[in-house]
Amino acid sequence: MKTNRRDFLKGMAAVPFLGYFAVGAKGNITTELERIQNDYLSTLKIDHLSAPEDKLRPPTGNNNNVVRFGVIGNGWRGDQLLNSLGFVSSKYVEDNTVNGKYTKRLQDLLDEEDLYVDFAGVCDTFDAHAKRGYEISLNKVRRGGDKREHKPARIFPTYREMIASDEIDAVIIATPDHTHARIAIDAAKAGKHVYLEKPMTHTVEEALELREAIKSTGVIFQLGHENRQQMSFKIANELYKKGALGVVSMVQTYTNKNDRNGAWIRTREFDHLGSPDTINWKEFLGKAPWVEFDPKRYFNWQRYSEYGTGVTGNDFTHKYDCVNQVLELGIPDTVVALGGQYYYKGHGDMPDLFSAIFTYPERGLTMTYDSTLKSGIYRQSHILGSEVTMDIDNAIMMYKDTYSERYKEHAISSDDPMYYYEPCADVDAISSATAKTYLKSGYGPTYIDGKVIDATFLHLKEWIDAIRGFGTTSCGIDVGFEEAVTFNLANLAYEHRRPVHWDKVNEKVIIE
Amino acid sequence: MGKEIKYSTGQLWALTLLRVLIGWHFLYEGLIKFYTPGWTAKAYLQNTTGPFAPLFRSMTGSEIVQRCVDLMNEWGLILLGLGLFLGICSRYCKIFGIVLLLFYYLAYPPFASLGVNAHVEGSYWIVNKNLIEMAALFLLCWFPSSHITGLDYFIRQFRFKLKASRGQ
Repeated sequence: MKTNRRDFLKGMAAVPFLGYFAVGAKGNITTELERIQNDYLSTLKIDHLSAPEDKLRPPTGNNNNVVRFGVIGNGWRGDQLLNSLGFVSSKYVEDNTVNGKYTKRLQDLLDEEDLYVDFAGVCDTFDAHAKRGYEISLNKVRRGGDKREHKPARIFPTYREMIASDEIDAVIIATPDHTHARIAIDAAKAGKHVYLEKPMTHTVEEALELREAIKSTGVIFQLGHENRQQMSFKIANELYKKGALGVVSMVQTYTNKNDRNGAWIRTREFDHLGSPDTINWKEFLGKAPWVEFDPKRYFNWQRYSEYGTGVTGNDFTHKYDCVNQVLELGIPDTVVALGGQYYYKGHGDMPDLFSAIFTYPERGLTMTYDSTLKSGIYRQSHILGSEVTMDIDNAIMMYKDTYSERYKEHAISSDDPMYYYEPCADVDAISSATAKTYLKSGYGPTYIDGKVIDATFLHLKEWIDAIRGFGTTSCGIDVGFEEAVTFNLANLAYEHRRPVHWDKVNEKVIIE
Repeated sequence: MGKEIKYSTGQLWALTLLRVLIGWHFLYEGLIKFYTPGWTAKAYLQNTTGPFAPLFRSMTGSEIVQRCVDLMNEWGLILLGLGLFLGICSRYCKIFGIVLLLFYYLAYPPFASLGVNAHVEGSYWIVNKNLIEMAALFLLCWFPSSHITGLDYFIRQFRFKLKASRGQ
């Protein structure tokens, strides 16, 4: 068979088209990719967003600057904080080992940076919790790079002995709310750096006292709102500052739950061991009014206003701190609140319906908070601006306002998001409904520097780095003070059934 | 396929045009994915609907499988696109193209009850653009053109020559 010229040309028929494609496609692809990347910025009329370019902080630890920390209160949250620091129980390893291999969850934890910290001490009013902390300190499965010899954590009878010890540099406080301030103040005065779980304090007076103690001693303080590390709030803050939202007049926050666990009526695996012999009841009560030993009060302390801070302290503080990051709201001028206990009677005095309004007249802004413990509907916080409405949790959705001036030429409907941010958060190995809500609400992993990473780890790392003199903490005493005063004003308004004002000059609460 | 079909000039160019257009589409889709920094099919797979959704979602469970799916998509589309465009190994490209399109079709099957139409620009029921492109490739399997208007012509010539020289 011989190739003639005509057949040859036929065989090459598509080549010129490919040539055209090759010349045209390159430019077209570049334009298309630029359009995808720049589209939202030009849509939002913003030159640049710098928050997503944030980088992970470099490691600061080495063998010569190991931070020795003690855990005060090793209940469920103490356990989680230890996990984030790289210390897990042997049971956790067992539960996260399938066919001889670690689950992604455990492997991710082990692969994170070695913070060069020693788990040096633990104390808890419940023996079983303190013992569990000690057992965790014995476990040899730790962060990949951590090959150092660790002495087992010492069990201290109370926090007082721990903060008096020169074997401890810093303390992590995860105790019931009514003891936060006392322990944190004593620790600061003893020169120990403080990582304090939220909510910061049980009362406004305690918040003032703690702020004074932290400022006067100069210890490094971090309040445990790990969502300070969430990328979505950093982006939202930048969008707000650059005018994308316009005038913000209203903020709506919610937390809803619909199960006994969510209502803080909980039992955990060690609870049956609780007795007057294993629980230091007097130490638990602290300055709270004396009552006889009552395991229900001890294990479900959140439901009693003598020890807990209700839905505002437990849940609203998270939402508040998120919007406070975005809008830098500070403390409201006036708060009104209503609610009641209707569904979980006989379990303390905590309300299961709660609504509060916080006014900021100088900002021309009102914030609301609604909570029910009888509906599990999930809602993001809504920030209502004159140009857009922003729905925010660990993701962001922005919708153009129907009467927006800034975006009036932008054709998108108010029903479709004009900007959308979602972190590449992997939900692997987290399956329970509560865990999903936790993750969705922005308390799980965050996305930074091209990496999905545990926000609590970043929050603890920020504290440890600051102790070593690198950077500052993002949830320091001043924003902690704003959190504590704001939610306590709501609790006072609920308790007194009256509007409550904050006299910002004299830093005093005025109940009408 | 087997016996060679005699085409009129119009038929030949119509079939060639269809082949080149599908090749163009595949190639451009592949190149866009290739040049997009950090492109991955993860979100596409995680949001799948319909009876095969668990299978597609499971592909995102392992990083290795996910990477393979991404590479198959990027390079599969690029190579298929080039194959169809230039008419080289065009028969295998068509079969593989049908398989790839079948995956896309099953990932988001266009049935009203699955709400797929909420995510696309038109309205579809059973028949969508993926299915039509599959049907077009199916047609091209039975009415090939690359052995005349593609580089397959030269491959065939080479084979004939090889056979002839062995015969001698």
